[in-house]
Amino acid sequence: MSSRRLLPLLVPLMIVSMILAACSAPAAPAPTAEPAAGTDTSGGDSAAASGDTSWWSEAAAPYAGVTLRGVSESTPASRYVEEVLAPMFTEATGINVEFEVTSWDEMYQKAIQDMEANTGIYDFVYIEQDIIYTYLGRDFLTNLTQLMADNENLASPDFDVNNFTSFIDNFKDPETGDLYGVPMEAFIKINLYRTDLFDDPDIQAAFEAEYGYPLSVATTHEQYRDNAEFFTAYGEENDMDLWGTTVQGHTGHPSATYEFVESIAPTYGVYNWGVNLDTWKACVDNGGEMNSDTAKEALNFWLDMLNYAPPEATSSTWDEVAASFAAGRAAQGWVYGENATWIATDTDRSAVVGNVGVARSPLSDGVLEEAESGEGYIGYYDGGAFGVPHSSRNKEAALLWLEFIGQESVQADWAVAGSRIVMNSTFDDPKVQEADVATNGYYTMLKDDGPLYRGAPPFPFHNTLRESMDPFFWQALAGELTAEEALDQACAAAEAAMVQLGYGE
Amino acid sequence: MDSNRTGWGLLAPTLIILGVMGLLPFLYVLYISFFDWNVFSASGQMEWAGVNNFRRLVFDSAFLGSLGRTLLFTLLAVTSELILGFLLASTLLRDFPGKIVFRTIHALPLVIAPIAVGATWRLLTIPGFGLAPYYLDRWFDIDYNIGRYAEQAFFTTLAMDIWHWTPFVTLTMLAGLTAMPKEPQEQARVDGANRWQVLRFLTIPMMMPVIVTTVFIRMMDALRIVDEVFMLTGGGPGNATRYVGIYIWRVVFPQTDYGYGSAMSLLVLYFTIVLAWLLFVALAQVGNQQSSS
Repeated sequence: MSSRRLLPLLVPLMIVSMILAACSAPAAPAPTAEPAAGTDTSGGDSAAASGDTSWWSEAAAPYAGVTLRGVSESTPASRYVEEVLAPMFTEATGINVEFEVTSWDEMYQKAIQDMEANTGIYDFVYIEQDIIYTYLGRDFLTNLTQLMADNENLASPDFDVNNFTSFIDNFKDPETGDLYGVPMEAFIKINLYRTDLFDDPDIQAAFEAEYGYPLSVATTHEQYRDNAEFFTAYGEENDMDLWGTTVQGHTGHPSATYEFVESIAPTYGVYNWGVNLDTWKACVDNGGEMNSDTAKEALNFWLDMLNYAPPEATSSTWDEVAASFAAGRAAQGWVYGENATWIATDTDRSAVVGNVGVARSPLSDGVLEEAESGEGYIGYYDGGAFGVPHSSRNKEAALLWLEFIGQESVQADWAVAGSRIVMNSTFDDPKVQEADVATNGYYTMLKDDGPLYRGAPPFPFHNTLRESMDPFFWQALAGELTAEEALDQACAAAEAAMVQLGYGE
Repeated sequence: MDSNRTGWGLLAPTLIILGVMGLLPFLYVLYISFFDWNVFSASGQMEWAGVNNFRRLVFDSAFLGSLGRTLLFTLLAVTSELILGFLLASTLLRDFPGKIVFRTIHALPLVIAPIAVGATWRLLTIPGFGLAPYYLDRWFDIDYNIGRYAEQAFFTTLAMDIWHWTPFVTLTMLAGLTAMPKEPQEQARVDGANRWQVLRFLTIPMMMPVIVTTVFIRMMDALRIVDEVFMLTGGGPGNATRYVGIYIWRVVFPQTDYGYGSAMSLLVLYFTIVLAWLLFVALAQVGNQQSSS
């Protein structure tokens, strides 16, 4: 081929190569599949981590060569399972693990379709705390207590349900107490803030001069707003890419609704998304709270925060919010705790290492007291478990896998990699305590304040309800609806959706 | 008789594949559309609903709005692609420096998967990080934020579709123009016709079969757009880019409302067939009038 004819082919190739090369350097740190820096990805002492390896190989002998297939959301904790625990398990047992770590939407879609159609593609699935009630209602999951009782030879001496925190109760049948999932991650949604900014004497003096009271981490919504306004102006005056707060406000993704109903509304004292769990009604006129004056005040506060958030806020889901904070673009913000450790310690991905503080969200009067008494809660306790679908063709091998990840010995490194803790003893591990110092007390907060937070309400129709509400929050964030209009319409749509499903008629 | 058998035998594999992959799913969707079937319902079972799902559609303002938005998107996208594609194809008929390089680069979007197109445009337009908002703000003082402003999001999805699919139209037009006989045009010029008259009375009528085929293909594609837009905006802000494909996806998958979602799918299929038929009849009439005149 002549050089004249080669040229047209080579030039585009070179251009594409250059574009791809340029794209390989990300503009801002973003979460990747890598465990946090400084994390021991070996899973700790291999022999100890896998318990008595001879027991595992003997128990798994009948299943050697079997391939277990699972699906989960792409979270730091799940990626640790994929990269560290699954290979360890295969080494100890000869059972292969094919683990799909995918987006939140796709994870649900795949798992539900598999279990509904009884196809048996998956041997273990991620059960987020908020969907367990739906799965139990549909008999989607295998009773693990029964499975262990039926297969005593498969009961690992290193697996004890009593080692877990009370978070495991979410995955038990409320009536029988039987277990349906082994917790693999649990964390709270926290208020992260920049210690370098909040502790700077010049900034403190400037704040006090403007607002008439000392700068500190917000305990009230008014204070949070002042902080947000101040740091946004500070960023502008000093030509910095700095804004006052994060907002998880993607105007086409469910994460926006979640931030409001799970992290903002409860701090005003609006619980269970404003839905009356006895009557399945959401509007004030029918006994609900979704469009109450308090809820409207909460939504107005949250929408106002958009004025002090980085421009990417209306395109940000939970991942982008963490990335924005890690890039140093927000002085404070609501961030899922699973990101706390890498933001605070991973210099490859975070620009704010060593400058991260953790705190409770700002609260309205009386909310803390209600949370302490058990009547309410101050924020979202997120997490999930692995369970075995009723349609699995490899239940016994899957049981071994769940017991393997439920060993005490694998928890500490996993906790540091994924900012998650599911066992009481993990809090005392030296590695976790070291990470606690690096995060300015995230793990201590998880332990001490954990009981003040709560998971999703026990809706048997979680996704459908949320989907019915989403468009109104998106429109409010886009400025097409006021807070009042959005909540009035959202509660009506929620009630219609519940009636359609056969609830609250 | 033997040749009949041979014919059917040769066709059988294709017919079986079409039946299994096309007809059976269609019949299943048709069947489901007459039931209430939601995994999250109180019963969780399929319950006979008659035509209730179709009745719901008529009163579902969000769905109808989504359908209207999709039709507008399709009209603007296909028209723009057709005009641009025709102009580019006409240009590519002539010689100019760098023509082959341009033609190769111009065709590159065609080989990119829709989901990658969406991701690329997201990186380009994401507020705070993307090149587009940065330079629009810096050079023209435009606050470009597709997460916040509905019109900007709508026109960005339109631009993305035009960028992605104009090369396809260009290539089909180029093939048509290249294959067209030159004699009638030369004859017309000899008879004194100007360029506009040649285009209006010769080129376009002669290209009509290519144009119709291209419009059909692009229209059907545009009506079912999902991947790129889902990646770029997720359907937002609000409902601004929630085209009917995304709407149906949300009803069928996150909401697991299989019966209602099936009814929606059938209605959209019906609309597509009707639109294609109307277009075909209209263009055929135009072609007949022109050939008779």
